[in-house]
Amino acid sequence: MTQHSIDARRRRFAGIAVAAGLALVATGVRAAPDIEVGLIAPMSGPWARQGQVMKSAAELAIASINQQGGIRSLGGAKLKLSVFDAGDSVEKAKNAAQRMVAEAPHLVAATGAYLSSFTLAVTEVTERAQLPMVTFSYSDQITARGFKYVFQTSATGDQQAEGSLPALLAMAEKSSGKRPKTVGIVMDNTAASLAFVKPIRATQLAKLGLTLVVDETFTPPLANATPLIQKVRAKRPDMLLLLPTAISDAKLLLEKMNEFGLGDGRLPTISNGAAILDPDLRANMNVAQLEGVMSVVANWGTSAQKDMSDEFRRRTGEPWATQHFLTTYGDMWIFKAALEAAGKADRASVANALRTMDLSNGPAKFFPGGRVKFDAAGRREGAGLLIVQWQNGVPVTVYPVKEAVAESRWPKR
Amino acid sequence: MSTAASSRRHAVPIALFGVAYALVTLATGNEYHQLILTLVPVWAVMGLSWNLFSGYSGLVSFGHAAFFGLGAYFVALAQVQWGMTPWIGIPIAGALGGLAGLIVGLPTFRLRGHYFALAMLAYPLALLYVFEWLGYQELTLPMEREHPAAFMQFADHRVYALLALAAMLASMWLTSVLERGRFGLVLTAMKQDEAAAEAAGIDPRAWKLRAIVLSGALAGAIGGFYAVVLLVVTPQAVFGMLVSSQALIVAMFGGVGTVWGPVIGAVVLVPLSELLHARLGNEIPGIQGVVYGVAIIAVILLAPDGVVWKLRDLRQRRASAANANVAPTAIVADDAPASARTIGPTLLEVSGVSIAFGGLKALDGVSLRVATGEILGIIGPNGAGKTTLFNALNGFLRPAAGSIVFDGREITGQPPHRICAAGVGRTFQVVRPFRRMTVFENVLAGAFVHEPDEIRARTIAVDALDQVGLRAIESVSAGGLSNRDLRLLEIARALAGRPKLLLLDETLAGLDTEGVEAVLAVVKRLAARGTTVVIIEHTMPAMVRLADRLVVLDHGAVLAEGAPEAITRNPDVIDAYLGKRWRTGDAVDR
Repeated sequence: MTQHSIDARRRRFAGIAVAAGLALVATGVRAAPDIEVGLIAPMSGPWARQGQVMKSAAELAIASINQQGGIRSLGGAKLKLSVFDAGDSVEKAKNAAQRMVAEAPHLVAATGAYLSSFTLAVTEVTERAQLPMVTFSYSDQITARGFKYVFQTSATGDQQAEGSLPALLAMAEKSSGKRPKTVGIVMDNTAASLAFVKPIRATQLAKLGLTLVVDETFTPPLANATPLIQKVRAKRPDMLLLLPTAISDAKLLLEKMNEFGLGDGRLPTISNGAAILDPDLRANMNVAQLEGVMSVVANWGTSAQKDMSDEFRRRTGEPWATQHFLTTYGDMWIFKAALEAAGKADRASVANALRTMDLSNGPAKFFPGGRVKFDAAGRREGAGLLIVQWQNGVPVTVYPVKEAVAESRWPKR
Repeated sequence: MSTAASSRRHAVPIALFGVAYALVTLATGNEYHQLILTLVPVWAVMGLSWNLFSGYSGLVSFGHAAFFGLGAYFVALAQVQWGMTPWIGIPIAGALGGLAGLIVGLPTFRLRGHYFALAMLAYPLALLYVFEWLGYQELTLPMEREHPAAFMQFADHRVYALLALAAMLASMWLTSVLERGRFGLVLTAMKQDEAAAEAAGIDPRAWKLRAIVLSGALAGAIGGFYAVVLLVVTPQAVFGMLVSSQALIVAMFGGVGTVWGPVIGAVVLVPLSELLHARLGNEIPGIQGVVYGVAIIAVILLAPDGVVWKLRDLRQRRASAANANVAPTAIVADDAPASARTIGPTLLEVSGVSIAFGGLKALDGVSLRVATGEILGIIGPNGAGKTTLFNALNGFLRPAAGSIVFDGREITGQPPHRICAAGVGRTFQVVRPFRRMTVFENVLAGAFVHEPDEIRARTIAVDALDQVGLRAIESVSAGGLSNRDLRLLEIARALAGRPKLLLLDETLAGLDTEGVEAVLAVVKRLAARGTTVVIIEHTMPAMVRLADRLVVLDHGAVLAEGAPEAITRNPDVIDAYLGKRWRTGDAVDR
């Protein structure tokens, strides 16, 4: 072969390679326009930590969705996350929502916005923009306004309040063989706590044959827990509903209970929400004093998601996945399922897919009850409760049994 | 300067600004930007509301969220509970805010300074807990699908921005009118020197109440509108510290005590904060707060009184540099002879007045009489109780014993503004002008004592300025006056209250010979026109020339009393006060 012919061949090959490359690039561009989904949550201010946890959850879920081939019904399109900072006030949350709607016209769905009051304001905007919004906020009002584009994955505040006592009694009976007869309440006067005890005081105690022997309300922050806990010790109820919302108050109350010999599960103590299960609490008090404390929550790590929780620990360095993480992670998988079903990347189709969705696998494993189906109001059907208990320094799900990762401990007296 | 022309001069910029803002709003298609265009006027009105009270009165309120929140909750609850449209709800919210202002003001005005600010802080915080206790943690305004516009719900968000703009323009106009009228003048005077204002016949409590009622009404109404914009009302969002501080920050940034200050503050800060939040919030969480804080600190360091005052000062400095040689004050030297005066019956009778500060008896049973038309000089060593006597006469101090009868009426222990209204004017040992006001405004503040009508009050003020010869510099800011002009200004301010008795406290102190002559001439002329004068003075030669009679105070008691020549020869007086050189007897002529 002459030098000339070699050069000619080289040129020819080069030409083919370039053409092939161009073709690849061209098909690549055509096949996978990214699909934008939103997260609106506090990225700054006092709730920034929870917002960051939600953000890492969304990123983690999207990374694994994209790694597994993206949205197949849309030619393997990749999901792309846009984050909007809801800040520290209702006004900032509303502004962020308006910005999200105005400046991200290609957004097909969003999740957020952590606090119920933020979610209420945000959904006023997303509803008018017909943007589907999935949320784990509890407030009943979120899905009581006749809105068509809001989907609530958690049991609502009222549902939690009404479902808690029966669940606790069932668990107590199963664990100890005895049904509690008396109950005490020590609570702060915040919105969440007030909403939680309202139906309990009004109807449930009488209905369930329970006697209220201690009923104390305090205004946070608590300065001295002694008088409250003294009353509890004097009356010695069979179980105590302990409802602080601030981590500092939780610490003060639990330490005092231990001092008075009521700790380590001797007096079954039940809270509501994730405050008493927060990693911060463990970091700031003697872990032994948390032992046995329970809380009723809308989501926590269950037996169905063990592999995911391990990945979470590895990737984030946080000791365990909180409900914010799990739910946001699951929301991304709900979006994926909706997009797969819709086959179109627009808001109306995604909203429609969410309304007709009925899943008991895939994303469903991230939500207690194991089913993702929304009713006409946008509430998830069968959204149950989980009871989580501190055991050996880690809060673990202990009820209901099919989702529990450990056995509940209730003192046998 | 006609009032109509002046109001046109102030209205035109407001109208132009309104038109420009409306055009920008109409041209904005982005709903997010439309929301920001709505929030700017909302916070501007809140700033104007704060300014209307705190800006002009100087009483710092950390509690304007109380009025704002009540308005917001009223509009939200009225719609939820009774289906009342915000079109009706917002005006009622305004009335409610005004009522709240009255209720808050009545007890709280007993406090001053920091104590007042702290007490105000308590109201929104208390209300926050009340509304939480009532179970209104999260209140949403129901979406009206049938007649949205009837419930102030618009698909086109520019309508909100335009409504907010209208509210802002109305508030600016209101502030502008009030500022130039008696309201602004009186409050500004009180803010700069409450004691001096009270001595000039202003009843501070009544004016503060009027201010807080108006201010509360504005805040209540805009709070109601805020609820309509946000659609969600929570105690934190409307009673929280952020609300009160936002009102304060926009006003302080732009310029306290001005029409444009709060507006400039809102126009700059609200979008800036949002922009930082939107652009940096996701990248470096929290950085927006830092940048925002630094921006505010920078402005406060560079322009401590706010942007508007800084600009005004710069302009004034350039103007005064341009015509540095301002015409000197005309000295009117028609020295009316004292003999022209007629001494009449007793105008003021002080009997046995005593005042003690702890163990120190500042006044110990002082008795004296002042006849109508007389010039009475009060002399005595430092600490003799001269100024204390004046403070008792004009109501700053309440005597522990004794009585003061003025013009046949007992005035012992009455508040200063009443005594002023009864006909006692005074000046101060250390001059107390309202420095941020012009010479004319200073005097006008005093002219409202007997004359509620603004136009007639202006005539009185002009007349008072004529009497002391300050007419030529009536539009100069009082802060830049010479000592002599300040002394004359205080006299004019007192004169504007049409006093029967003028109390002059060391009016000649710190003046050069020329200044002493000028002021003496003015005092003599006032006396010649029938004003009774009591003057405290250390400059004996001047005193001997001026006074008909001298009273010598020493250790809180009257040491001697009589004609000037007799007093200067009284050995007791020479020992206690005048000193040995007066023994030669010729010192008077020096």
